[in-house]
Amino acid sequence: MKRVLRDNGLGLFFGLLFLASLVGQAFAGNADLNERRLTDGGDPIGLGAYVLSSDFAVDVAENWQSEYLQFVLFILAGVWLVQRGSTESKPAHRLGRETDEQQLLGAHVEPGSPPWARAGGWRTALYSNSLGLVMLALFLGSWGAQSIAGRSSYNNEQLVHFQDTVTWWEYLASPDFWNRSLQNWQSEFLAIGSMVVFSVYLRQRGSSQSKPVGSPHTDTDENG
Amino acid sequence: MRKRSPTAMRLGSLLIATLLVGGCGSGTEDLVRRAAQDFSSAVADGDGARACGLLTEQARENADCAALEVPGGPVEQVEVWGDAARVRTAGDVLFLRELAVGWRVSGAGCEPRGDRPHECEVGGP
Repeated sequence: MKRVLRDNGLGLFFGLLFLASLVGQAFAGNADLNERRLTDGGDPIGLGAYVLSSDFAVDVAENWQSEYLQFVLFILAGVWLVQRGSTESKPAHRLGRETDEQQLLGAHVEPGSPPWARAGGWRTALYSNSLGLVMLALFLGSWGAQSIAGRSSYNNEQLVHFQDTVTWWEYLASPDFWNRSLQNWQSEFLAIGSMVVFSVYLRQRGSSQSKPVGSPHTDTDENG
Repeated sequence: MRKRSPTAMRLGSLLIATLLVGGCGSGTEDLVRRAAQDFSSAVADGDGARACGLLTEQARENADCAALEVPGGPVEQVEVWGDAARVRTAGDVLFLRELAVGWRVSGAGCEPRGDRPHECEVGGP
Protein backbone atom coordinates (compact mmCIF):
# COMPACT_ATOMS: atom_id res chain seq x y z
CA MET A 1 0.00 0.00 0.00
CA LYS A 2 2.81 2.40 0.95
CA ARG A 3 4.55 1.63 -2.32
CA VAL A 4 1.35 2.22 -4.31
CA LEU A 5 0.94 5.61 -2.67
CA ARG A 6 4.58 6.50 -3.28
CA ASP A 7 4.56 5.36 -6.91
CA ASN A 8 1.34 7.26 -7.64
CA GLY A 9 1.83 10.27 -5.40
CA LEU A 10 1.75 12.92 -8.12
CA GLY A 11 -1.40 11.57 -9.73
CA LEU A 12 -3.15 11.13 -6.37
CA PHE A 13 -2.18 14.63 -5.22
CA PHE A 14 -3.61 16.35 -8.27
CA GLY A 15 -6.58 14.00 -8.38
CA LEU A 16 -7.53 15.00 -4.84
CA LEU A 17 -6.97 18.70 -5.62
CA PHE A 18 -9.20 18.34 -8.68
CA LEU A 19 -12.01 16.74 -6.66
CA ALA A 20 -11.74 19.30 -3.88
CA SER A 21 -11.83 22.23 -6.27
CA LEU A 22 -14.72 20.72 -8.24
CA VAL A 23 -16.73 20.41 -5.03
CA GLY A 24 -15.76 23.96 -4.10
CA GLN A 25 -16.81 25.18 -7.54
CA ALA A 26 -20.20 23.51 -7.06
CA PHE A 27 -20.83 25.41 -3.83
CA ALA A 28 -19.54 28.74 -5.14
CA GLY A 29 -21.36 28.37 -8.45
CA ASN A 30 -24.61 27.47 -6.71
CA ALA A 31 -24.36 30.57 -4.52
CA ASP A 32 -23.52 32.75 -7.53
CA LEU A 33 -26.47 31.43 -9.57
CA ASN A 34 -28.85 31.92 -6.65
CA GLU A 35 -27.74 35.53 -6.27
CA ARG A 36 -28.53 36.13 -9.94
CA ARG A 37 -31.85 34.33 -9.65
CA LEU A 38 -32.96 36.50 -6.73
CA THR A 39 -31.98 39.60 -8.71
CA ASP A 40 -33.97 38.60 -11.79
CA GLY A 41 -37.09 37.40 -9.98
CA GLY A 42 -36.44 33.67 -9.77
CA ASP A 43 -36.18 31.33 -6.81
CA PRO A 44 -32.93 29.78 -5.52
CA ILE A 45 -32.11 26.11 -6.15
CA GLY A 46 -30.32 23.56 -3.97
CA LEU A 47 -26.85 22.12 -4.57
CA GLY A 48 -28.23 18.85 -5.94
CA ALA A 49 -30.28 20.63 -8.59
CA TYR A 50 -27.37 22.96 -9.37
CA VAL A 51 -24.85 20.21 -10.18
CA LEU A 52 -27.38 18.79 -12.66
CA SER A 53 -27.92 22.19 -14.27
CA SER A 54 -26.56 23.48 -17.55
CA ASP A 55 -24.92 26.39 -15.67
CA PHE A 56 -22.66 23.99 -13.77
CA ALA A 57 -22.08 21.78 -16.80
CA VAL A 58 -20.93 24.64 -19.04
CA ASP A 59 -18.68 26.12 -16.36
CA VAL A 60 -16.96 22.73 -15.95
CA ALA A 61 -16.82 21.84 -19.65
CA GLU A 62 -15.40 25.18 -20.79
CA ASN A 63 -12.43 24.70 -18.49
CA TRP A 64 -11.86 21.05 -19.37
CA GLN A 65 -11.84 21.69 -23.13
CA SER A 66 -9.18 24.37 -22.86
CA GLU A 67 -6.93 22.15 -20.75
CA TYR A 68 -7.09 19.33 -23.27
CA LEU A 69 -6.61 21.72 -26.20
CA GLN A 70 -3.50 23.03 -24.46
CA PHE A 71 -2.16 19.47 -24.15
CA VAL A 72 -3.00 18.51 -27.75
CA LEU A 73 -1.19 21.53 -29.14
CA PHE A 74 1.73 21.19 -26.74
CA ILE A 75 2.15 17.48 -27.49
CA LEU A 76 2.06 18.01 -31.25
CA ALA A 77 4.02 21.27 -31.37
CA GLY A 78 6.74 19.63 -29.30
CA VAL A 79 7.44 17.19 -32.15
CA TRP A 80 8.50 19.89 -34.58
CA LEU A 81 9.22 23.05 -32.55
CA VAL A 82 11.98 23.62 -30.03
CA GLN A 83 12.81 26.13 -27.32
CA ARG A 84 16.51 26.04 -26.71
CA GLY A 85 17.33 25.60 -23.05
CA SER A 86 13.79 24.72 -21.95
CA THR A 87 12.84 21.63 -19.93
CA GLU A 88 9.66 21.53 -22.03
CA SER A 89 11.55 21.09 -25.31
CA LYS A 90 13.53 18.44 -27.16
CA PRO A 91 17.04 19.29 -28.30
CA ALA A 92 17.13 20.65 -31.85
CA HIS A 93 18.99 17.62 -33.25
CA ARG A 94 15.96 15.44 -32.43
CA LEU A 95 13.44 17.56 -34.33
CA GLY A 96 10.55 15.63 -35.90
CA ARG A 97 9.15 12.14 -35.29
CA GLU A 98 12.66 10.67 -34.78
CA THR A 99 14.09 7.32 -35.87
CA ASP A 100 12.90 3.88 -34.79
CA GLU A 101 16.12 3.50 -32.85
CA GLN A 102 15.43 6.71 -30.91
CA GLN A 103 11.81 5.67 -30.34
CA LEU A 104 12.67 2.04 -29.38
CA LEU A 105 10.58 0.55 -32.16
CA GLY A 106 11.00 -2.21 -34.73
CA ALA A 107 14.32 -3.95 -34.19
CA HIS A 108 15.00 -1.69 -31.21
CA VAL A 109 12.14 -2.67 -28.89
CA GLU A 110 13.11 -3.60 -25.36
CA PRO A 111 11.84 -6.45 -23.16
CA GLY A 112 9.68 -4.04 -21.21
CA SER A 113 8.28 -2.19 -24.23
CA PRO A 114 4.46 -1.95 -24.27
CA PRO A 115 2.74 -4.74 -26.26
CA TRP A 116 1.45 -2.41 -28.99
CA ALA A 117 4.93 -0.89 -29.40
CA ARG A 118 6.21 -4.43 -30.14
CA ALA A 119 3.22 -5.51 -32.28
CA GLY A 120 4.06 -3.50 -35.40
CA GLY A 121 1.59 -2.59 -38.16
CA TRP A 122 -1.52 -0.51 -37.41
CA ARG A 123 -1.30 -1.22 -33.70
CA THR A 124 2.11 0.43 -33.40
CA ALA A 125 1.01 3.25 -35.70
CA LEU A 126 -2.03 3.90 -33.51
CA TYR A 127 -0.10 3.57 -30.26
CA SER A 128 2.55 5.95 -31.62
CA ASN A 129 -0.14 8.64 -31.74
CA SER A 130 -2.26 7.53 -28.78
CA LEU A 131 -1.37 10.41 -26.47
CA GLY A 132 -2.28 13.09 -28.98
CA LEU A 133 -5.39 11.24 -30.13
CA VAL A 134 -6.76 10.75 -26.62
CA MET A 135 -6.15 14.40 -25.73
CA LEU A 136 -7.78 15.46 -29.00
CA ALA A 137 -10.80 13.27 -28.30
CA LEU A 138 -11.12 14.68 -24.79
CA PHE A 139 -10.85 18.23 -26.16
CA LEU A 140 -13.48 17.68 -28.83
CA GLY A 141 -15.76 15.88 -26.38
CA SER A 142 -15.58 18.56 -23.73
CA TRP A 143 -15.84 21.39 -26.29
CA GLY A 144 -18.93 19.67 -27.65
CA ALA A 145 -20.32 19.38 -24.12
CA GLN A 146 -19.58 23.10 -23.61
CA SER A 147 -21.56 23.95 -26.75
CA ILE A 148 -24.59 21.91 -25.67
CA ALA A 149 -24.64 23.00 -22.03
CA GLY A 150 -23.68 26.53 -23.01
CA ARG A 151 -26.60 26.83 -25.40
CA SER A 152 -28.96 25.58 -22.68
CA SER A 153 -27.62 28.08 -20.14
CA TYR A 154 -27.64 30.90 -22.70
CA ASN A 155 -31.21 30.19 -23.77
CA ASN A 156 -32.30 30.16 -20.13
CA GLU A 157 -30.78 33.63 -19.71
CA GLN A 158 -32.43 34.79 -22.92
CA LEU A 159 -35.90 33.74 -21.74
CA VAL A 160 -35.35 35.19 -18.26
CA HIS A 161 -34.68 38.50 -19.99
CA PHE A 162 -37.59 38.16 -22.45
CA GLN A 163 -35.35 37.64 -25.45
CA ASP A 164 -35.32 35.06 -28.25
CA THR A 165 -33.55 31.72 -27.97
CA VAL A 166 -30.98 30.35 -30.44
CA THR A 167 -30.40 27.06 -32.25
CA TRP A 168 -27.24 25.07 -31.64
CA TRP A 169 -25.73 26.33 -34.92
CA GLU A 170 -26.55 29.92 -33.98
CA TYR A 171 -24.97 29.35 -30.56
CA LEU A 172 -21.73 28.10 -32.15
CA ALA A 173 -21.44 31.50 -33.87
CA SER A 174 -22.48 33.46 -30.76
CA PRO A 175 -20.30 35.84 -28.73
CA ASP A 176 -21.16 33.83 -25.59
CA PHE A 177 -19.64 30.60 -26.99
CA TRP A 178 -16.50 32.26 -28.31
CA ASN A 179 -16.03 34.50 -25.29
CA ARG A 180 -16.11 31.42 -23.05
CA SER A 181 -13.74 29.50 -25.34
CA LEU A 182 -11.20 32.25 -26.01
CA GLN A 183 -10.95 33.50 -22.42
CA ASN A 184 -9.95 29.98 -21.41
CA TRP A 185 -7.59 29.45 -24.36
CA GLN A 186 -5.59 32.63 -23.74
CA SER A 187 -4.79 31.57 -20.18
CA GLU A 188 -3.78 28.06 -21.20
CA PHE A 189 -1.44 29.26 -23.91
CA LEU A 190 0.01 31.88 -21.56
CA ALA A 191 0.68 29.17 -18.96
CA ILE A 192 2.44 26.86 -21.38
CA GLY A 193 4.40 29.68 -22.97
CA SER A 194 5.45 30.91 -19.54
CA MET A 195 6.63 27.46 -18.48
CA VAL A 196 8.52 26.91 -21.75
CA VAL A 197 10.43 30.18 -21.39
CA PHE A 198 10.79 30.43 -17.61
CA SER A 199 12.31 26.94 -17.40
CA VAL A 200 15.22 28.17 -19.53
CA TYR A 201 16.36 30.70 -16.97
CA LEU A 202 14.77 29.78 -13.62
CA ARG A 203 15.27 26.75 -11.39
CA GLN A 204 13.35 24.78 -8.77
CA ARG A 205 15.70 22.37 -7.05
CA GLY A 206 14.49 18.77 -7.19
CA SER A 207 11.47 19.43 -9.40
CA SER A 208 10.75 17.27 -12.45
CA GLN A 209 9.86 20.51 -14.22
CA SER A 210 13.24 22.20 -13.65
CA LYS A 211 16.77 21.68 -14.85
CA PRO A 212 19.40 21.02 -12.18
CA VAL A 213 20.19 24.31 -10.50
CA GLY A 214 23.69 24.40 -11.94
CA SER A 215 22.68 23.53 -15.53
CA PRO A 216 23.61 26.04 -18.20
CA HIS A 217 20.72 27.97 -19.75
CA THR A 218 21.59 26.46 -23.13
CA ASP A 219 21.07 22.85 -21.96
CA THR A 220 17.77 21.56 -23.39
CA ASP A 221 15.48 18.71 -22.28
CA GLU A 222 17.03 18.03 -18.94
CA ASN A 223 15.09 17.71 -15.68
CA GLY A 224 16.42 18.21 -12.16
CA MET B 1 -19.49 -9.99 -22.86
CA ARG B 2 -17.99 -7.40 -20.57
CA LYS B 3 -20.46 -6.05 -18.00
CA ARG B 4 -20.51 -2.40 -17.06
CA SER B 5 -20.53 -1.62 -13.36
CA PRO B 6 -23.70 -0.04 -11.93
CA THR B 7 -21.58 2.89 -10.75
CA ALA B 8 -20.24 3.54 -14.23
CA MET B 9 -23.73 3.42 -15.67
CA ARG B 10 -25.04 5.85 -13.06
CA LEU B 11 -22.18 8.25 -13.70
CA GLY B 12 -22.73 7.98 -17.43
CA SER B 13 -26.42 8.74 -17.00
CA LEU B 14 -25.57 11.70 -14.76
CA LEU B 15 -23.21 13.09 -17.37
CA ILE B 16 -25.73 12.73 -20.16
CA ALA B 17 -28.46 14.29 -18.00
CA THR B 18 -26.21 17.19 -17.14
CA LEU B 19 -25.30 17.80 -20.75
CA LEU B 20 -28.81 17.70 -22.07
CA VAL B 21 -30.58 19.47 -19.23
CA GLY B 22 -32.60 22.56 -20.04
CA GLY B 23 -35.93 21.93 -21.59
CA CYS B 24 -35.88 18.20 -21.23
CA GLY B 25 -38.96 16.20 -20.43
CA SER B 26 -42.52 16.38 -21.71
CA GLY B 27 -43.63 16.50 -18.04
CA THR B 28 -42.13 19.96 -17.62
CA GLU B 29 -43.63 21.13 -20.92
CA ASP B 30 -47.05 19.94 -19.74
CA LEU B 31 -46.73 21.98 -16.54
CA VAL B 32 -45.75 25.07 -18.54
CA ARG B 33 -48.56 24.53 -21.03
CA ARG B 34 -51.11 24.16 -18.21
CA ALA B 35 -49.88 27.34 -16.46
CA ALA B 36 -50.13 29.33 -19.69
CA GLN B 37 -53.59 27.94 -20.47
CA ASP B 38 -54.83 28.66 -16.93
CA PHE B 39 -53.64 32.26 -17.21
CA SER B 40 -55.16 32.78 -20.66
CA SER B 41 -58.46 31.22 -19.52
CA ALA B 42 -58.58 33.43 -16.43
CA VAL B 43 -58.03 36.55 -18.55
CA ALA B 44 -60.63 35.44 -21.11
CA ASP B 45 -63.13 34.79 -18.26
CA GLY B 46 -62.53 38.27 -16.86
CA ASP B 47 -61.25 36.74 -13.60
CA GLY B 48 -58.51 39.28 -12.90
CA ALA B 49 -57.81 38.00 -9.40
CA ARG B 50 -57.20 34.46 -10.59
CA ALA B 51 -55.08 35.68 -13.49
CA CYS B 52 -52.95 37.89 -11.24
CA GLY B 53 -52.46 34.93 -8.91
CA LEU B 54 -50.74 33.18 -11.80
CA LEU B 55 -48.27 36.02 -12.36
CA THR B 56 -44.81 36.35 -10.82
CA GLU B 57 -44.42 38.95 -8.10
CA GLN B 58 -42.53 41.27 -10.45
CA ALA B 59 -45.17 40.97 -13.17
CA ARG B 60 -47.94 41.63 -10.66
CA GLU B 61 -46.35 44.88 -9.47
CA ASN B 62 -47.57 47.05 -12.34
CA ALA B 63 -50.50 44.92 -13.49
CA ASP B 64 -54.08 46.21 -13.34
CA CYS B 65 -55.71 43.02 -12.13
CA ALA B 66 -59.21 44.41 -12.61
CA ALA B 67 -58.66 45.10 -16.29
CA LEU B 68 -56.14 42.62 -17.68
CA GLU B 69 -56.27 42.47 -21.44
CA VAL B 70 -53.95 40.24 -23.41
CA PRO B 71 -54.55 38.20 -26.56
CA GLY B 72 -55.32 34.56 -25.89
CA GLY B 73 -55.86 31.45 -27.96
CA PRO B 74 -54.80 27.79 -27.84
CA VAL B 75 -51.20 26.97 -27.05
CA GLU B 76 -49.22 26.29 -30.23
CA GLN B 77 -45.61 25.99 -29.04
CA VAL B 78 -43.84 25.50 -25.72
CA GLU B 79 -40.10 26.05 -25.22
CA VAL B 80 -38.47 25.39 -21.85
CA TRP B 81 -34.87 26.09 -20.83
CA GLY B 82 -34.10 25.48 -17.16
CA ASP B 83 -36.41 27.57 -14.98
CA ALA B 84 -37.65 29.78 -17.85
CA ALA B 85 -40.09 29.13 -20.67
CA ARG B 86 -41.78 30.78 -23.62
CA VAL B 87 -45.24 29.85 -24.87
CA ARG B 88 -46.72 30.91 -28.19
CA THR B 89 -50.49 30.85 -28.44
CA ALA B 90 -52.63 31.66 -31.46
CA GLY B 91 -52.52 35.34 -30.54
CA ASP B 92 -49.85 35.88 -27.91
CA VAL B 93 -46.34 35.24 -26.64
CA LEU B 94 -45.97 34.56 -22.91
CA PHE B 95 -42.87 34.15 -20.79
CA LEU B 96 -42.91 32.01 -17.65
CA ARG B 97 -40.60 31.27 -14.68
CA GLU B 98 -40.49 28.23 -12.47
CA LEU B 99 -40.77 29.30 -8.84
CA ALA B 100 -41.06 27.27 -5.64
CA VAL B 101 -44.86 27.46 -5.99
CA GLY B 102 -44.81 26.30 -9.62
CA TRP B 103 -44.75 27.93 -13.04
CA ARG B 104 -45.88 31.53 -13.14
CA VAL B 105 -46.30 34.01 -15.99
CA SER B 106 -43.58 36.67 -16.01
CA GLY B 107 -44.72 38.41 -19.19
CA ALA B 108 -47.84 38.34 -21.37
CA GLY B 109 -48.98 40.21 -24.42
CA CYS B 110 -45.34 40.32 -25.53
CA GLU B 111 -44.14 41.71 -28.85
CA PRO B 112 -40.66 41.01 -30.26
CA ARG B 113 -38.21 43.87 -30.80
CA GLY B 114 -35.42 42.21 -32.76
CA ASP B 115 -32.44 41.47 -30.53
CA ARG B 116 -33.85 43.59 -27.71
CA PRO B 117 -36.13 42.16 -24.98
CA HIS B 118 -39.78 41.73 -25.90
CA GLU B 119 -42.14 44.51 -24.91
CA CYS B 120 -45.00 43.11 -22.81
CA GLU B 121 -48.40 44.48 -21.86
CA VAL B 122 -48.27 42.57 -18.55
CA GLY B 123 -44.97 42.06 -16.75
CA GLY B 124 -41.91 41.84 -18.95
CA PRO B 125 -38.54 43.61 -18.60
